[in-house]
Amino acid sequence: MAAAALLEMRGITKRFSGVTVLEDVSVSLMEGEILSLVGENGAGKSTLMRILSGSHPYGSFDGEIRVRNAPRSFHTPKDAHEVGIRMIYQELSLHQDLSIAENIFLGRLQQKKKWLANWSGMHGSTAGLLERVGLKQSPQTVLRTLNAGQQQLVAIAKALAHDPRILVLDEPSAALTEEETNRLLELLKSLKAHGISCIYISHKLKEVYSVSDRITVLRDGRVVAQREASSYPSQQLVEDMIGRKIENMYPKLSVPIGAEVLRAEHFTVQHPQAHAKNVVTDAGFTVRRGEILGIAGLVGSGRSEFVNAVFGAQEHDGRGKVFVEGRPVDIRGPRDAIRAGIGLVTEDRKANGFIRTLDVAQNVSLASLRAVSSHAVIVRSKEEALAQRFMSSLKIKAPGLRAEILALSGGNQQKVVLSKWLATQLKVLILDEPTRGVDVGAKVDIYGLMAELARQGVGIVMISSELPELLAMCDRFITLAEGRIVDEFAKSDASAGRIMSAATGVHKERKTA
Amino acid sequence: MLLARREAGVLLPLVFLFVTVGSINSAFFGVDNLINMLRAASFTFIAAIGTTMVLIAAGLDLSVGSLVALGSYTTALALTSSIPVPLAVLIGMLTGGAVGMASGGIIVAFRIPPFITTLGMLYMVRGVVLIASKGVPIYPLPDAFNAIGQSALQGIPYIVIIAAGLGLAAEFMLRCTIFGRAIYAVGGNEETARLSGIAVDKVKISIYAVAGCLATITGLLQASRLGSAQPSIGNGFELQAIAAAIIGGTSLFGGAGTILGTLLGTIFMTVMTSGMSFLRVSAYWQQLVIGAIIVVSVGLDQFRRRRL
Repeated sequence: MAAAALLEMRGITKRFSGVTVLEDVSVSLMEGEILSLVGENGAGKSTLMRILSGSHPYGSFDGEIRVRNAPRSFHTPKDAHEVGIRMIYQELSLHQDLSIAENIFLGRLQQKKKWLANWSGMHGSTAGLLERVGLKQSPQTVLRTLNAGQQQLVAIAKALAHDPRILVLDEPSAALTEEETNRLLELLKSLKAHGISCIYISHKLKEVYSVSDRITVLRDGRVVAQREASSYPSQQLVEDMIGRKIENMYPKLSVPIGAEVLRAEHFTVQHPQAHAKNVVTDAGFTVRRGEILGIAGLVGSGRSEFVNAVFGAQEHDGRGKVFVEGRPVDIRGPRDAIRAGIGLVTEDRKANGFIRTLDVAQNVSLASLRAVSSHAVIVRSKEEALAQRFMSSLKIKAPGLRAEILALSGGNQQKVVLSKWLATQLKVLILDEPTRGVDVGAKVDIYGLMAELARQGVGIVMISSELPELLAMCDRFITLAEGRIVDEFAKSDASAGRIMSAATGVHKERKTA
Repeated sequence: MLLARREAGVLLPLVFLFVTVGSINSAFFGVDNLINMLRAASFTFIAAIGTTMVLIAAGLDLSVGSLVALGSYTTALALTSSIPVPLAVLIGMLTGGAVGMASGGIIVAFRIPPFITTLGMLYMVRGVVLIASKGVPIYPLPDAFNAIGQSALQGIPYIVIIAAGLGLAAEFMLRCTIFGRAIYAVGGNEETARLSGIAVDKVKISIYAVAGCLATITGLLQASRLGSAQPSIGNGFELQAIAAAIIGGTSLFGGAGTILGTLLGTIFMTVMTSGMSFLRVSAYWQQLVIGAIIVVSVGLDQFRRRRL
């Protein structure tokens, strides 16, 4: 390497109570470079960055950190700040009720005449920072009024206020739209041109390729590859991340599609605040045995509210009707839906997918307690046999049946949630963003499971914002825009363009009956 | 293994305290004193069983003390109206169950927080007892009734046996039954529980009913022990019950806790109070110490969890 390394982390090894999380990891960052750090959840990326930021203090790990060839020991985040390292976290640490300027200068207000805050000075500096990040907002704008993309820019402006040498961004695009993401990536490139190097952590490989000079892959706490982005085939990158070959990312099986298993009609959900407005208007769908129905639409198009209403978990105007295998079912709550053979994997598994105070086996049996008990008494051996069955068939990686669910990675937590529904008498499974926050390996497993369920004759309804997975996995599609079904088409007519134009309302004339 | 459990936090201090007091004053280990402590602990424990269940379900019951008085008063009233003892006891228990069910119903139907609902019940129920009794105790009570609280089997007071039976039943219910699992699920994450098909509203109403029932059992046992029903009995009892549960490792945020822990918490508080009077520490100090123990025990628990 000819260019001077701005930052070097050498031979980093970190253990948590005997478990090695990072082993002999060496990473370097050049002057004026964007380095992407990729790996599955639990690969050690966050731990490595916590070491770099001083959150895991010097001495709690082996190895050394050198900045401009001088060894450094960071005991606190402040030490890392002093050499110009700034972290921008996934969950933004900004105060929603303060203005942009107040957020940027929080904790170090400029003063005048000893006791007064120098607001005009701070507003001036803020305006300059906002211009650098390309955010056209007044410094006095209250943060709550900004969307996620704009708030991300404020976080970067806040970091820039400290004149950093190295920016570390941890999954910055998680809450951003595609356009916002593109603007963020452009900003990082322009900062690079001004000599600010960057470590970029993301699951989204498209972004990684578009922004980075080099890519470092972590797997199970070790560096498995460190390559120039331009000469790194993406297939190879994915295989490096998960450590096995993927013959088929989307193992979709072709199965005969049977009789109608679920039909929902005329669902209308009112807006929680504005009663004149509907979140979902007169929506419905049918799904057949062995079929995977895709529900496309932008975030906020009413997709989740729609399926939650069908499941009985969301209030609606009461005119919606549900038929299971042709027979009308009165669904007043999730209990009725489950009894009718419907399962729902919700969008946010932490909020309402699993229960963190219950262990793995208890989460698996949660929706089928009757099946593992006799006379209302839970039979421990039955519960464990049930959990064990899914642990092996879904390849759930967990320290044990009675392990805490929070000890599992996102992908394995999602598999536990899926197991909960598989343990019921399932006829229809509704999946709302089933692969969100799940690493690549677990994604493939979840696709495989969907295909297998379809083969067994279960009807599947899938909501996803990731068009490639939706297009690859589904047999038929409906597109929602502003709470209405605006398009419906078969796999043969499907394309990302058709979905996006319907979802964004570009081609309303294409609406089908 | 045993020490890794949540309840274990209180076990070592309890043993330490017990041995220390006993070695300073050996009369502390005397059978009479041990029996007295067990009996005193039994009253708190029975009410605290209900409180523990409510806390596990992420609820709160402040009406326990007033329900103790209600149980004591209604049973006595029934007895003095010459209703037979078993039926009078049943009436006493059912009034508590009914009030608890009402609290649960209000919490579920009107979405009024448990704190507010049961605080309201605390005042209303106490008010009803005072209005109905005009503040005057009821006595004498029939001997057959007083025998429950005043006699013993092979030296072990019936009250202790009743408390042990109720504790075992509650622990079995929480640990092994579908209903118990539902309580932990509702307390851990109500939304997930509902989406998984658990009848969350029914579970909540039931546990407040059970807790109410247990509070009135405590009350009628107190009446039987004293041979009279005192309208002012049970004042502040809800806080003792909550303290016992929390010292025993029950989480105020719901989803975690055991009856075994609450038992240890109750015994700890009893040994503490009794031990201090044995060591001739002024009774005024006892509240100060118990308060400090509550804060320290929760603090230690938080510290332990942060390190995990």
